[in-house]
Amino acid sequence: MNLKEIKELIDLITEKGISEFELERSGVRLKISRNAAPRTEGGILPADTRPAVASISTPAPQLVSGTPSSPSAEAPLLLEGLHVVRSPMVGTFYLAPTQGAPPFIQVGDRIQVGQVLCIIEAMKLMNEIEAEIAGEVIKCYVENGQPVEYGEPLFDLRPAVSSKKHP
Amino acid sequence: MSVPRWFSMFKKILVANRGEIALRVICACKELGIRTVAVYSEADAHSLPVRYADEAICIGPARPSASYLNIQSVISAAAITGADAIHPGYGFLSEDANFAEVCETSGITFIGPSPDLIRLMGDKSNARRKMKEAGVPVLPGSDGGVYSAEEAAEWASAIGYPVLVKAAAGGGGRGMRVAHAPVEIAAAFEAARREALHAFGSEELYIEKLIPEARHIEFQVLVDHWGRALHLGERECSIQRRYQKILEESPASPIRAEQRREIGAQVANVLSRFGYTNAGTVEFLMDEQGRLYFIEMNTRIQVEHPVTEMVTGIDLVRSQILLAAGAPLSEIAEGEVCLKGHSIECRINAEDPATFAPSSGRITSYHVPGGTGVRVDSASYTECVVHPYYDSLLAKLIVHGRNRQEAIGRMARALEMFIVEGVQTTIPLQQRILAEPDFLQGNYNVRFLERRQGRPELVAK
Repeated sequence: MNLKEIKELIDLITEKGISEFELERSGVRLKISRNAAPRTEGGILPADTRPAVASISTPAPQLVSGTPSSPSAEAPLLLEGLHVVRSPMVGTFYLAPTQGAPPFIQVGDRIQVGQVLCIIEAMKLMNEIEAEIAGEVIKCYVENGQPVEYGEPLFDLRPAVSSKKHP
Repeated sequence: MSVPRWFSMFKKILVANRGEIALRVICACKELGIRTVAVYSEADAHSLPVRYADEAICIGPARPSASYLNIQSVISAAAITGADAIHPGYGFLSEDANFAEVCETSGITFIGPSPDLIRLMGDKSNARRKMKEAGVPVLPGSDGGVYSAEEAAEWASAIGYPVLVKAAAGGGGRGMRVAHAPVEIAAAFEAARREALHAFGSEELYIEKLIPEARHIEFQVLVDHWGRALHLGERECSIQRRYQKILEESPASPIRAEQRREIGAQVANVLSRFGYTNAGTVEFLMDEQGRLYFIEMNTRIQVEHPVTEMVTGIDLVRSQILLAAGAPLSEIAEGEVCLKGHSIECRINAEDPATFAPSSGRITSYHVPGGTGVRVDSASYTECVVHPYYDSLLAKLIVHGRNRQEAIGRMARALEMFIVEGVQTTIPLQQRILAEPDFLQGNYNVRFLERRQGRPELVAK
């Protein structure tokens, strides 16, 4: 779900006078409630939605987002803003250069800009997907050999402190 | 479904298109019991083809070059979903010989003719030459490409003005310029060359005699893998604006039964001899004396195919799928096809009636007409968004009547009952066309709309 879709949702919800709205889709939970006191303890906002929320004043909708599983445990990570690596093409996802070879990366690895994260095979072409930022691999959404669509999330990366200035 | 045992039907078809034609292909697949895969751009995530297909794969961002025109993404989507055939619809990759070739080498059936035939007919200058050799009347024009303004001037004076300078790779009215007199030929040549290069990446041009008062008549043909060919009569598409068709009908008012039989049989024979397969449309211009001249051939399903379906009772998209799977023509029709009654189609485009600019935005209210003899092919719905990235066709409104008069009356009431709010449409324009005495008498040609452009009551609100 991108920023534009969230904005459209907020507009729709405001327009229809709905006071609370919850949506769960592909590992993301979105909760929008109007006229509610701003939540601080659970106010977990992905970094890229902050500007939009900042521009909304009460009693406009409050945006609450998190993962469906144990949101409180994951909250500190999300607070720092995770970078989602999405598939730039439709194809087949591979975590390793060849069958049986060690994977390019594993959850917990620290990675550098330009480091190969995975391969997307499209029409027999092996497209290496490189990291655009430095950071730590938090999550891998896809299993080896699984087909992926354009725009499908592949990894969550926690940006390294230094790379935050140049996202 | 009575299919002979010796050809095997596809299990899963990927629809490499969007909008109403994607939905049209999905309908045909459902009726044949074939599973479907919709491919879509991010802008079309909430589209009806995505909803109705058995599977849907996002292949890229809204920009067509990065999604619907991206051969690698489309083929890759077919590979990961295990589709055994691809229907390209119209536009996008439908007449791309390279795409058809990639399908072939990837072991996926391209639902259409072979890459060679697509390539042959895609070069309009070449297609003209081949048809002329086969004995089909063509307009006087250059034999082959024209590569300089001087050469263009020589051909033009040999043929006689006015002439059309056309892009060999052209279509849709782009890369086309008129020269009425020798003073205009150099400028027309240069302008057509620039536009052709920009639009098609090829600057090859050819020259053809211009018939100002022509009618646009096209014949629908089906050919199976054994060279058996069948024509399904003609369509008249003379109501055009800037070479874009607005309203089509079948049969064409000026075509008599003997002429239909004669020309139809000729084009069917010629295509069979060329080794053409699947559905195709052969386009002609008719001069004031009623003579037909070949202009070009389209190697795909056409937007206006429903009018032929209405008068023949033959489902053309279903036929395309059957023929691609290797079915014999006898699976589709037995013997000669006769046209029953009359059919008219209006292309309901989202556009500003005064400026003709595409009108994008959200449709706030949408209601389609129904009733006897009315068909609507559309992927629009209330609250759907008309995107600026794609063509502005909202719906095709098609009617069938026992005769032309009944069809016109039916179309008039159906247009009146068609509600679209939120974007502007061509409906008022089509309502005015239907009220024109010349249209009612079937007395019109390709200049019908152009002539009335100075008349605000016809073209603007």
